[in-house]
Amino acid sequence: MRIVHYLNQFFAGVGGEDAAGAGPDLREGSVGPGRRLATLLGDEHPIVATAFCGDDHASGHPEFAAALVEEMREMGAELLIAGPAFTSGRYGLACGRIVSAAAEAGLPALAAMHPDNPGLAEAGGTPVVASGATAREMRPSLERLAAAARKLAAGEELTTEDGRIGLVPRTNGLAKRSAAQRAAALVLERLGGDREATEIPLPTFDQVTPAAPVANPADALVALLTEGGFVPAGNPDRLESARATKWVRHSLEGLDSVKAGEFESVHGGFSTQWANADPNRILPLDVARELEREGAIGGLHAEYFATTGNGTTVADARRFGVEWAAELHQANIKAAILTST
Amino acid sequence: MSPAGEDGGLRRLVHEVRELALGHRTLYESGRLTVSEEAARSLLRDPALAEVRLACASPGESVRIIGVLDAVQPCSKGPGGGGVFPGFLGPALPPGRGETHVLRGAAVLAAGHLPRAQEAVIDMSGPAAPLSPLAATHNLVIEFERAPDAAWEEVEAALRRGLLRLAVHLADAALEAEPDVVEVLADPAGSPDGRPRVGVVTNLQTQGKFKDVFVYGRSLSGGLPTLISPNELDDGAVVSGQYGHPALKNPTYLHQTHPVVAAVRERDDLWLAALVLCPEPVDQGTKELVSAHAARLCAGLGLDAAILTKEGGGNADADVSLKMDRLEEEGIATVGIFAEMAGRDGTGPSLVVPPSLAKAMVSTGNYDERISLPSCARALGGDRLALLDRPATDELELPAAAVYCALSPLGWGRLTCSEAA
Repeated sequence: MRIVHYLNQFFAGVGGEDAAGAGPDLREGSVGPGRRLATLLGDEHPIVATAFCGDDHASGHPEFAAALVEEMREMGAELLIAGPAFTSGRYGLACGRIVSAAAEAGLPALAAMHPDNPGLAEAGGTPVVASGATAREMRPSLERLAAAARKLAAGEELTTEDGRIGLVPRTNGLAKRSAAQRAAALVLERLGGDREATEIPLPTFDQVTPAAPVANPADALVALLTEGGFVPAGNPDRLESARATKWVRHSLEGLDSVKAGEFESVHGGFSTQWANADPNRILPLDVARELEREGAIGGLHAEYFATTGNGTTVADARRFGVEWAAELHQANIKAAILTST
Repeated sequence: MSPAGEDGGLRRLVHEVRELALGHRTLYESGRLTVSEEAARSLLRDPALAEVRLACASPGESVRIIGVLDAVQPCSKGPGGGGVFPGFLGPALPPGRGETHVLRGAAVLAAGHLPRAQEAVIDMSGPAAPLSPLAATHNLVIEFERAPDAAWEEVEAALRRGLLRLAVHLADAALEAEPDVVEVLADPAGSPDGRPRVGVVTNLQTQGKFKDVFVYGRSLSGGLPTLISPNELDDGAVVSGQYGHPALKNPTYLHQTHPVVAAVRERDDLWLAALVLCPEPVDQGTKELVSAHAARLCAGLGLDAAILTKEGGGNADADVSLKMDRLEEEGIATVGIFAEMAGRDGTGPSLVVPPSLAKAMVSTGNYDERISLPSCARALGGDRLALLDRPATDELELPAAAVYCALSPLGWGRLTCSEAA
């Protein structure tokens, strides 16, 4: 089976953080950890090319994935392998996106990353196997990835025994009876002593370790972020009022506060009357500027980021988080105030 | 004749509607409902409305209704019957006794723009039709234009009054007709004959203008859970003024025909003992208070089990989950009805806030999964679907979330969600 291997700029040998903005490209044969992977896969499944992209580019330009997949298909790829991305968020996001785009285009795909990698959700229902947390665990991670790839190439399904991680998709269908009738039947089961019967298994949520406190706020650049559907009046980017699939950014340069009539909230989950009467109550620019003048903070980031947190999927919210973190990191921002509504 | 009217129960006189048309005189005869355009216009007349248009949409037709707001089942208690929709059309006093005429298989609904109303779609035929209770009814659809100077709140109030008046006007046409079925609804305070006593706990959305639900014409916002007889629903004790969350919306029609109340009533091994209505507060402290209070109320009623329903997505999950946990602590077996928000590919966490003690949950489907709707011949409620900026009659791909009542938190639908085989 003809395999294309996806890596980020670092593992592809293009460069470190300085090269994170590099655009997507393809190179013949295997590169970096791909050489070891090729050995493990053997002659039966050659790595015919290595695709790569800078992590910042991949997180800021989701369309990189579909374009790369198109090129892979043109060169006759039969399987895409991405990673291992370990716990690297942007790299994991890129791997998730590329395997998801491949699956959508009908190209079988497989990624490897640590179970805590925020890019895991981006893979959707496309298979992902667990890797170690860091590149120190490259060898066992590649061994597991190669074994999973051979199994996939043989047309078999991957299971948790192969190290498969990520959730199995839940899909809609019609039951024989209405939800109300099923609820009444479930009452009888519950009264009969069954404490476990349910149609919805309990979900598991991420545990996020907060960053360490900012040592000296007076030196720190601070960004203002919000999920309050906060946009310039008229909503030029058409940010959604619910189920947001994107986020927007707008300049705060030269503004001392955000004025009614110039900014508004398009959030569909609460009454925006008071927010629109004083937009600073969603994006606290007025008081943030005071802190800036007092020298309590080092400065404010020149733009704000906003999305709408209303029925937004966890996968989209996680992606926004990874993208925001990458942007802020790049701009040397040390702290952010994210107002929630 | 059963003395249900005297012993605290309600007699429901059901007239089936199998055909709907506009005409000169409002008339109900052998399943055919004719609506006088003139009478309907006069009932809808209001300074806040510049214009109203009437149209019919029946099951199986190639019609799409967009911008669906509220829907109401025609009902009436006749002259001297005490009135329906207390607090709006009748005195604000508890109804639910005596006799009520209902036109089953018909609905009056409004479609168009209101602020904060998220765009809701009903297809009267095709793959989305089985997902909506209002695709199975003969609908009198009211389209409208706002009067130039009218406030949107006035437009909303005018539509609500108009729909309720029209619902009574239509059912009045059947007062003299022989009912197709007479259903006797027992007094919930009566004897359960050893059956488990089940309460239905229904959370009503209370989020202010255009997102409020009324009990006897009043919002429950700021209040505590309250007990009413399920039989009062038939007489319109609960009226919706909530236009968000199309698939997770509970229109007046579904309160009148409350699916969980009906499902418990139809079983001979459960006894429908109570309906508890609760506000859905927007802050955590009040959610906890309302949940603890609802559980105490249910314990005080001596319930063996409870079924919980909600309205809306996201934070409304917390109201159900907290109540499930508090009820289980009171020793009451509890089942919650939830819609899942598992993302477009169904791999996200299903619930925003799951219960921690209770586990028995019923799924009304994944809100984010997409569904393809074929093009249709005619659209009501608007020419363009703003959500996609496309002509309303086009072939559309939408999340299940946009289909009216598709994930009915009151348990109407058969849609559910499970792990792919």
